[in-house]
Amino acid sequence: MALKARHKRFILIGIGLGLIGLAAMLILNAFQSNMVFFYTPTQVAQGEVPKNTGFRIGGLVEEKSFKRGEDGLSVRFIITDTAKTVPVIYKGVLPDLFKEGKGVVAQGKLGEDGTFTASEVLAKHDENYMPPEAAEALKRAQTQSNTVVMPK
Amino acid sequence: MNNAWLTVLTRDLLQAYRRRSDIATTFFFFVIVSSLFPLGVGSDSAILSMIAPGVLWVAALLAGMISLSRLFATDFADGALEQMLLSPQPLALLVSAKILAHWLVCGLPVVLLAPIIGLQYALPNEAISTLVLSLLLGTPALSLIGAIGAALTLGARGSGLLVALLVLPLYIPVLIFGSLAVAASQHGMSPQAHLSLLAAISLLALVLAPLATAAALRISVE
Amino acid sequence: MSLKKIIFALGLIIALTAATLIFFTHGLNYIGVNVALLGLGAVLMRQSAYFSDNFYQHASPQSFYPTAGRMIPWFAWLAAVLVIYGLYISFAIAPTDFQQGEAYRIIFVHVPAAWMSMVIYLAMAFWAGVGLALNSKLSAMMAQALAPTGAIFTLLALVTGSLWGKPMWGTYWVWDARLTSELILLFLYLGFMALQASIDDPRKADRAGALLALVGAVNIPIIYFSVKWWNTLHQGSSINMGAAPKMAATMFEGMILMALAFWMYTIAVALIRVRCIILERERNAGWVKELSVKEIA
Repeated sequence: MALKARHKRFILIGIGLGLIGLAAMLILNAFQSNMVFFYTPTQVAQGEVPKNTGFRIGGLVEEKSFKRGEDGLSVRFIITDTAKTVPVIYKGVLPDLFKEGKGVVAQGKLGEDGTFTASEVLAKHDENYMPPEAAEALKRAQTQSNTVVMPK
Repeated sequence: MNNAWLTVLTRDLLQAYRRRSDIATTFFFFVIVSSLFPLGVGSDSAILSMIAPGVLWVAALLAGMISLSRLFATDFADGALEQMLLSPQPLALLVSAKILAHWLVCGLPVVLLAPIIGLQYALPNEAISTLVLSLLLGTPALSLIGAIGAALTLGARGSGLLVALLVLPLYIPVLIFGSLAVAASQHGMSPQAHLSLLAAISLLALVLAPLATAAALRISVE
Repeated sequence: MSLKKIIFALGLIIALTAATLIFFTHGLNYIGVNVALLGLGAVLMRQSAYFSDNFYQHASPQSFYPTAGRMIPWFAWLAAVLVIYGLYISFAIAPTDFQQGEAYRIIFVHVPAAWMSMVIYLAMAFWAGVGLALNSKLSAMMAQALAPTGAIFTLLALVTGSLWGKPMWGTYWVWDARLTSELILLFLYLGFMALQASIDDPRKADRAGALLALVGAVNIPIIYFSVKWWNTLHQGSSINMGAAPKMAATMFEGMILMALAFWMYTIAVALIRVRCIILERERNAGWVKELSVKEIA
């Protein structure tokens, strides 16, 4: 039984659209579980990180957590995502933008005791650019009233 | 479902069977390339299992690519391709049969061989099954995208190298998600997100690539 | 009204409206952008006078050749003026950044170059698509003329980004989604040029290139949205539709001026290149022979 050419075309278009819909579903499904350049401290706490291998961990350097070791080279600090924290040990040169309260991405391994030994520390800066006076003014405004929020 | 489609498919498979040495070339290329790395890098199984996902995927990708230039070249030379262009059947449909034949001949053997190569690289069992699954989901996209490149370079100067230049950049997403899937399961993570992206790429390629390939063939053969 | 005139009129209206809107909402904060947009509008108006009422006549290489020749100096001068003014704003007027100090100033080259790398690809794919659909020679030549400039801007964005990354992030290169997809864009430009170069029949080369350009266009949204879809090391965009720019006004102004300058440069260079391509392809046409006789005499 031969189908008419027109019907055949309709069927093919239908199959094509169905497949595209399926692909879209799969993509959405994939974006729900996250695929990331770095993991957050919360994910570390929940054990959602690769085992037996290095990975990247990202977040903010916790305020007043930065300590320099006695040899002057190794440093310790804590990475936080404001919910959970991970202590980090690193030996090497830090990028210029590394600062307490700023973004950081560290590559390394998680030890048995939950300390992260970093082999490389990268600074992640945000997309805000302004003169220092403006940043100062914003900070002051923020401390005075909690209703004013830094532009994200 | 469609006689012409089946005819093209069986014809291509038969041709491949008659020229078994061609299939064997692809096959051995994959084996040799993936065996070269342990010899070059050293036999430390920790290092090997670390580089395995990337190396095996790159080897599979290259193996699929070297056979691409044959996809349309012989049909172009003996005039069969022109007959397909003239036939009342939708060209994209006939092209999809040719691509399926290419995948059965060049993609599937690599998928089936992967577990053995995976053992050479000291991959754990779950990682091997993920490797096979990722290759199964990803290699169809390689054949489909590659067909566009093969059709575009038909009759161009130095088409073998040109195909590599055109097709490899488009292969990168497949390579990334394929090797990430294997690496994820190697380290006790779920490879599900990467696998579903691979499947999505293959499905999209399945819909769009035959159409693009058909258009490219009409441009190249005129 | 011809199609070209309508397009020019629309461009003019958009430029003037944008200038007025910026003036009313931000006052004199963005005076430089205002001046640039007004200049652009004036040039467009001046150019539209060159187009007679027959669009198809102007879509022919023969009549486009002299038109392009008259347009080049306008865009070239505009580019030169904008670059000087933009660099002056960027390096002398724009304030030092609160966290990156002076080093952030590479943004004035990096971001416009990255924008252009994507915009030029889209323009190239657009012209290639038009050439494929309408079978018009000139659009395909435009696509071919845009490709090298696009590749150069992509390379510039990658190199400046790399130089910026070392002092700020602490590394020249990471394989995050933004950087990888921009690298793929460079490969796509190179593939497009290689394909065009290796097919001898120019019409066939045009159409094959067009198909490749359209297939590769899939990459553009991936580059643009990569910083939103994945958490990358690369920061998010400072400039978004419908939101205030996340940077000081003069910084924003410098960046926009540099982007406009790059844009004008692109148009000028593409027109120069398209003239060469026209001469090369139409070398056997009567008018080219007449032209060469005139040049010699």
